[in-house]
Amino acid sequence: MSLKIPCPHCGLRRYTEFTFGGELRDLESRDPEEDFRRVYLRENAPGLQEERWFHTFGCRRWLTLRRDTVTGRIDGLV
Amino acid sequence: MASFDFEGKRVPLQDGDTIASALYRTGVRTFTRSMKHHRRRGLYCLTGDCPNCLVNVDGEPGVRSCTTPARDGMMVKRESGLPSAELDLLSIADRAHALMPVGFYYKTFIRPRFAWEVAERVIRGATGVGRLPVGREPRMKENRCVHTDVLVVGGGVAGLAAAAAAAGRGGSVILCDEGRLGEKVAPGPTLERIRALESELREQPSVTILERHTAVGIYEGPLVPVVGEEALLQVDPGRIVVATGAVESHAVFRGNDLPGVWLGRGAARLAGVHSLRPGRRAVVAAETTEGLEHLRTLREAGVDVVAAVVPDSLAGRVPAGVPVVRNGRVGKAEGRKEVRAVVVLTASGPQRIDCDAVVLSLGFAPRDALLRMGADLPVGGAGEVVQPGCSLDEAVESGRKAGGGEPSPVPQAEPARLGRAGYVCLCEDVSVADLEQAWSEGWHSSEILKRYTTATMGPCQGAMCGRLLSSFVARRSSSPTAGSPTTARPPVRTVPLEDLAGGVHEVIEKRTALHERHLELGARLDWSGSWKRPFNYGDTAEEYRAVREHVSLMDVSTLGKFLVAGRDATTLVDRVYPCRIENLAPGRSRYMLALDEAGYVMDDGMICALEDGTHYITSTSGGADRMEAWLRNWTDRWDLHVHVVNQTPMLGAINVAGPRARDLLSRLCDDPIDRESLPHMAHREITVAGVPCRAIRVGFVGELSFELHHPRSRSVELWDALMDAGRDLSIRPHGLDALEILRMEKGHFYLGQDTLPDDHPAKLGLSWAVAMDKPSFIGKVALERMAEIPVERKFVGLAFEGAVPGRGVPLYAGDRIVGRVTSCAESRVLQRAIGLGWLRAVDGEFPSVLRAEERTARVVPTPFYDPEGARLRA
Repeated sequence: MSLKIPCPHCGLRRYTEFTFGGELRDLESRDPEEDFRRVYLRENAPGLQEERWFHTFGCRRWLTLRRDTVTGRIDGLV
Repeated sequence: MASFDFEGKRVPLQDGDTIASALYRTGVRTFTRSMKHHRRRGLYCLTGDCPNCLVNVDGEPGVRSCTTPARDGMMVKRESGLPSAELDLLSIADRAHALMPVGFYYKTFIRPRFAWEVAERVIRGATGVGRLPVGREPRMKENRCVHTDVLVVGGGVAGLAAAAAAAGRGGSVILCDEGRLGEKVAPGPTLERIRALESELREQPSVTILERHTAVGIYEGPLVPVVGEEALLQVDPGRIVVATGAVESHAVFRGNDLPGVWLGRGAARLAGVHSLRPGRRAVVAAETTEGLEHLRTLREAGVDVVAAVVPDSLAGRVPAGVPVVRNGRVGKAEGRKEVRAVVVLTASGPQRIDCDAVVLSLGFAPRDALLRMGADLPVGGAGEVVQPGCSLDEAVESGRKAGGGEPSPVPQAEPARLGRAGYVCLCEDVSVADLEQAWSEGWHSSEILKRYTTATMGPCQGAMCGRLLSSFVARRSSSPTAGSPTTARPPVRTVPLEDLAGGVHEVIEKRTALHERHLELGARLDWSGSWKRPFNYGDTAEEYRAVREHVSLMDVSTLGKFLVAGRDATTLVDRVYPCRIENLAPGRSRYMLALDEAGYVMDDGMICALEDGTHYITSTSGGADRMEAWLRNWTDRWDLHVHVVNQTPMLGAINVAGPRARDLLSRLCDDPIDRESLPHMAHREITVAGVPCRAIRVGFVGELSFELHHPRSRSVELWDALMDAGRDLSIRPHGLDALEILRMEKGHFYLGQDTLPDDHPAKLGLSWAVAMDKPSFIGKVALERMAEIPVERKFVGLAFEGAVPGRGVPLYAGDRIVGRVTSCAESRVLQRAIGLGWLRAVDGEFPSVLRAEERTARVVPTPFYDPEGARLRA
């Protein structure tokens, strides 16, 4: 409800300033099967997750956050 | 004299009246009918905790009349009962509890299946929990974000002391209270202490006192939504002190819900604050010293206290002249409409006392829901919420400590006393017998007993009954944890949804620099995404004609506009976009698709190579924000040295289109703009009427056109110069309505209107815009994967026989629906109905003759107009 995200450029800000960008995924793969898995499948695992956030109403930069999806607790930036 | 309307009667008001006190003064005793059994319910707590006094005010259901100030001209009515709360035929339900056993919705009206649909409507209507005010204008509350070092919830003695201590340590403090400070407290030492602390606090500049502001929950962060009269505050405090106090224990005995049964603080408030008598002859059951204060307050108001039921320890402090019953316990309240007598159980047997009021001060239940939901957060308690029944000095001490950052430990909840009969949950009409029944059915913990019986789930959210439910389970269960309190969740007070929606009516409306010009030209402006744009200037046909035959302007400032610069700028655009970049010479532009990682078309636009190795990129109006985030994401992921500057708000853009476009520009511009110097798909910096522009030769409308990108601050100047210079060329601007036909004649799609989220370039006939032989670009592997699958659906041009069909209508091949029309219009140059749409393959082949709304539709090649593009390249 009110995550506070430690933006490396702007400081601690409410999550409402950010746009969620989903789980951090592998960059690219030349293998079609691997690429399919990368594009379409998500871990969606309970516990620590590395995820992308875009600071839309701030510095307009991306960051990667380590967050516990069960408790919402933030474990810092990646 | 001020008054409000109550069910057609005029109720006069006195200073300081709440709705409840004004109604009580005129003789109203039955405020509601209970939800299931339609029993009479009257004033009970007067602290906003119980559900007994909920009324409808000006159409809004569920208003707590005991805490809502009465205002002149209000329309107040009771919601429950048929035909009225006073004479309720549905009270037959009280004689027929078997009809609605505990958990009835799991047991009855199950077969036949349609029975529940009917029964639900009847039962819902009978509960009297209020009807939604349909059609009423919502209150447009603001939404404010507030930051503070310390938030204190509750403006009693402990809360005020906490706020003063927190302010003394430096930093900002907000204190909020759902009522006005001290308004519920009868004159006496407590009120004096409140006033003294309050006046000290009002001197403190770093303290903000918010009265009639209700903190409805604590979320992680911590974030506290505070509902005020004008605004929803999202308070973002460093730490929180909860000083919400305690409510006097709800006692459970037969008849405990009759009008005339009072909690001590409620009776004292009525007598001490509103000068009204809660009864003529009252029995006071006091097991706290505060109960004895209430007894005195009642006597001062002229109430005849006919018995004081007190333990030995307090017996000596009962004022002279009041009969004392030692160590008794109220066992039963008698009466049909109101209390007529109570039966007190004593060691020497039951004793029946005639009276019309029973006042109960039997202990305290902390109002600790906020404290419990903030358990993992910097939230501490102060005063009665952690020390129920504490003295004034203890409350001040506890508040000072908590305000200074040293909150009192939260004590273990003490078990509450529970009789063998009577109502445990007033909101949901759950009696001890119902709990026993549910227990015998096997629901053996607080959480599941709560869900099954719905006890604690009403408007009071367990304030009265939560502890009693736990005590019941603890009494029956051998498990030490089965009786743990149920989880506390927001909201702790009822909140209208419209209050939580505060601020949503504040819509961001984006305007271009030419907004006023459009209005002056008589434009019909409407939403296009988050922008307001001209749809037409009154005559779409003439606007269309100006583009095709003369010259026309369109404000295209809404296009996404980006400068991509830095050492790795070319690398970024080459790896993001599927078009060829390495052979794009400075001064040339190329149509560009943006694909997502699944190979689907996300957006499109132009990419222009500049002299200095940077790139100027345009996107669709609606895709601008996403395009920026997309480019920045890949810059970050690939660790490139690139600057992405979103110039959308800084630059205006005017499209000058039509066969006379060059004639018009040459009147205002000395730079070379002839066919050789500035051909189709080229761009260059030129000066038009003194305004520096980047002119891009592109054409969405299919005529000779120049998109002039320029500083937004000079849009008006440029527009005016163009309109002036073009007067003898029959210039006129065109809006989105004309553009719709113009672009359709060229077979151009609107992303999102004509396309679907899973369109890859081949489906759109755009394979030419994808350089599959590039080493890599986003979506390439996905496109390679999909290339092995036959294209089962494609985007086609359609020509209709007869009139234009409705947009969105299905396309039939025989009896089968094989597609859909996504855009259609009467083409002026072709003099026929044309359209664009989707077509699915039937048995591996795409049909070419179709039917749309009873007319024949033929698949035809696009563009419909000027297929060779001669006019575009002119």
